[in-house]
Amino acid sequence: MIPPDQKAFLGRIRQALGHAPHESRNGSHLFMQGPSREELQILERYRQRTAKDREELLEQLMEAAKPVHLCVRRLPDPEAAGAAIAALVQEKAPEPDTVKQVVAWRHGLIDGLDLHLLPEQSAVRVHRTPPLDPLMDPARRHAEREAQRRAIAKAHMGVTAADFCMADTATLVLRARPGQPRSVALLPPVHVAVITLDQILWDMKELFALLRWEARFAAQGLSRYMAFISGPSKTADIEATMVHGAHGPREVHLFVVASAPGRLQYVGQRSTFSALTK
Amino acid sequence: MTQLHPETYREAARKAIGDPVLQKALAGLQARFGRGAAEAYRRLPEGPHLRHTAHEIRERAVAHLDVLLERLAEKIRQNGGHVFFASDATDAVEYCIKVARRHGVRRVVKGKSMVTEEIDLNEKLAAAGIDAVETDLGEYIIQLAGEKPSHIIAPAIHKTRYDIAELFVKNMGIPYTTDPPALTRAARKALREEFLAADMGISGVNMACAETGHITTVSNEGNIRMATTLPRIHMAFMGMERIVGRLDEYEILLRLLCRGAAAQTMATYVSYTAGPRRPEDSDGPEAFHLVVIDNGRSRILADPRFREILYCIRCAACLNVCPVYGKIGGHAYGFAYSGPIGAVVTPLLTGINRARHLCQGETLCGACMEACPVAIDLPRMLLALRETLAYGDAFWKTTPANPLEGLAFKVWSRLTANRRTWECFLKAAALGQRLFPKKGNRLRRLPPPFHGWTRKRDFPSLAPETFLARWRKNEIEVAKDIP
Repeated sequence: MIPPDQKAFLGRIRQALGHAPHESRNGSHLFMQGPSREELQILERYRQRTAKDREELLEQLMEAAKPVHLCVRRLPDPEAAGAAIAALVQEKAPEPDTVKQVVAWRHGLIDGLDLHLLPEQSAVRVHRTPPLDPLMDPARRHAEREAQRRAIAKAHMGVTAADFCMADTATLVLRARPGQPRSVALLPPVHVAVITLDQILWDMKELFALLRWEARFAAQGLSRYMAFISGPSKTADIEATMVHGAHGPREVHLFVVASAPGRLQYVGQRSTFSALTK
Repeated sequence: MTQLHPETYREAARKAIGDPVLQKALAGLQARFGRGAAEAYRRLPEGPHLRHTAHEIRERAVAHLDVLLERLAEKIRQNGGHVFFASDATDAVEYCIKVARRHGVRRVVKGKSMVTEEIDLNEKLAAAGIDAVETDLGEYIIQLAGEKPSHIIAPAIHKTRYDIAELFVKNMGIPYTTDPPALTRAARKALREEFLAADMGISGVNMACAETGHITTVSNEGNIRMATTLPRIHMAFMGMERIVGRLDEYEILLRLLCRGAAAQTMATYVSYTAGPRRPEDSDGPEAFHLVVIDNGRSRILADPRFREILYCIRCAACLNVCPVYGKIGGHAYGFAYSGPIGAVVTPLLTGINRARHLCQGETLCGACMEACPVAIDLPRMLLALRETLAYGDAFWKTTPANPLEGLAFKVWSRLTANRRTWECFLKAAALGQRLFPKKGNRLRRLPPPFHGWTRKRDFPSLAPETFLARWRKNEIEVAKDIP
């Protein structure tokens, strides 16, 4: 059933374009029925990518990261990434409105970082963000959601795992999933993202080709909410002076894990509610 | 907010030109972004020609708007979002207030959106007892000052750090400082509280993709991500033309948008929203509303002369190169849209006669067309607007702005069409010009109605003898074999 506001509105458009107001036009030619030749080439290049190619992509990423102030570090394995995060937690002083506290996504790669060891080492609390149970009583779910939100708003560092990173523009790509609230990459003054080497893509064309046609990514597509993040939040609204940390994070760190155990590869892509709460 | 009158335009322009702070800010802005965008287009892997590909993409999208909007609405509804089609500003505002009341909304945070400026949303929400706080730092500053944005992406360029320091001391009670980072921190703190307390977040839409059913918002500060993540309700307003069909088309436009707007290869934050959160999600709005706005656009769509203005993606690249905008600034344009885009779209949205001064004020230099990421021929449309004003236009209900002007040109064409009358006219004019004050061989003042021309400059006088007369005197014959 088409609502009356839409009917009248689209009727006016059709009339303006010289068509009958109620004639619904066939638009299938406006949309893609299958990958274009260019996309097929892009997909082929992605599938054929060697370890050496990936290191080159990382180099490109590091180059592109400089002007947007994204700090990229290559680390050999998850243990080293965990240690690097622990060092960063120590180093970064909380802002006036935050406390020295870390909030981290529930995600396969992050689970492998052994962040739970942090409190023992440094007395810094690490909050995790488990998915909410859709069958739970709404009032309780609301309370749990509020508790997560308070923890995220108070933390001085948020740890996420990006789905991809585009080397061309140093852009992190995060798709929405339960257990992976978007505000973790937004509210804390320091944002740390972790990816594996094979999650680095060349550019937006490659990303969209994968999200459309590569089965394991296309299932979720762009998801209900996808974010591109290229470096820290910034503004130049006061006399054109560049200032970082306008609303979002003041610093963004990306840790690229060169080799992760097989079970961690792409766990982000298949982490559904059931997979995470097993 | 609308101040569309030739007199207020002239007055505001005069004031802007006399304001050294604004002149410096405008010059800086144009030097940085104007040149930066051109350079960014050159560096595109496909080369600057990509702008013309983008033009074709926009042309195709606008020619199939009904199909694309239908697809977008269908997809968003499938994902649990709501879509409302508003035929005008009143419709859009009433829908917003209705939803706000139903959800008991008291506080609203806003991401920058030109279309909500166009429909005067803030004022109307305030009248309904709902406070809307602008959260883009520049917009926040001018909201505190009770003013209007003067640039699409740099709304507060007319404010100095001293103005801002005073505003912040008065409104936030912070200790006086003129340090931009300290001022930004103060705004961050104040606005963070607003974000966390707000019930509804309002955003615009930079571009929607029909195929995937997403709307995209683009920002550098992250305020739009905040406003669309933290409050319970997200309402996005979009001009009906801001849509493309496919993701690969969208990709090209996003790259050009970032380059045109701020000479960036990618904005800091680009968000794709397809609907509200799900029960198991920890955050995101529980309700998502998309309001698609016509407000005069279907009328523009119906006229092939002006349909091209709907290809615009509101990046402000044309402002950053326009010699007129660069002097008179955004406020003189008296409406949400300023610069070359404002000079064309404002008359079309609000009435050509009413806003005639805008299309008459531009220089037709063509810089805007070169800067436009989707290669819109703005000068052509400026001329087409002037044509409707010169001869009247039934479709746009334009009456000739100055009927005497038409008569004058008729007389002029008679004068020039005949050798005899032309030479008589020249002789009469050569005699007549002696009556006017001269400086060297230039006239200081012309009589009305031409006096405006000599207000700031002199008019070259007629030479004592015409070229032809001198030619004859020298007895030089025109070569006969010139084809």
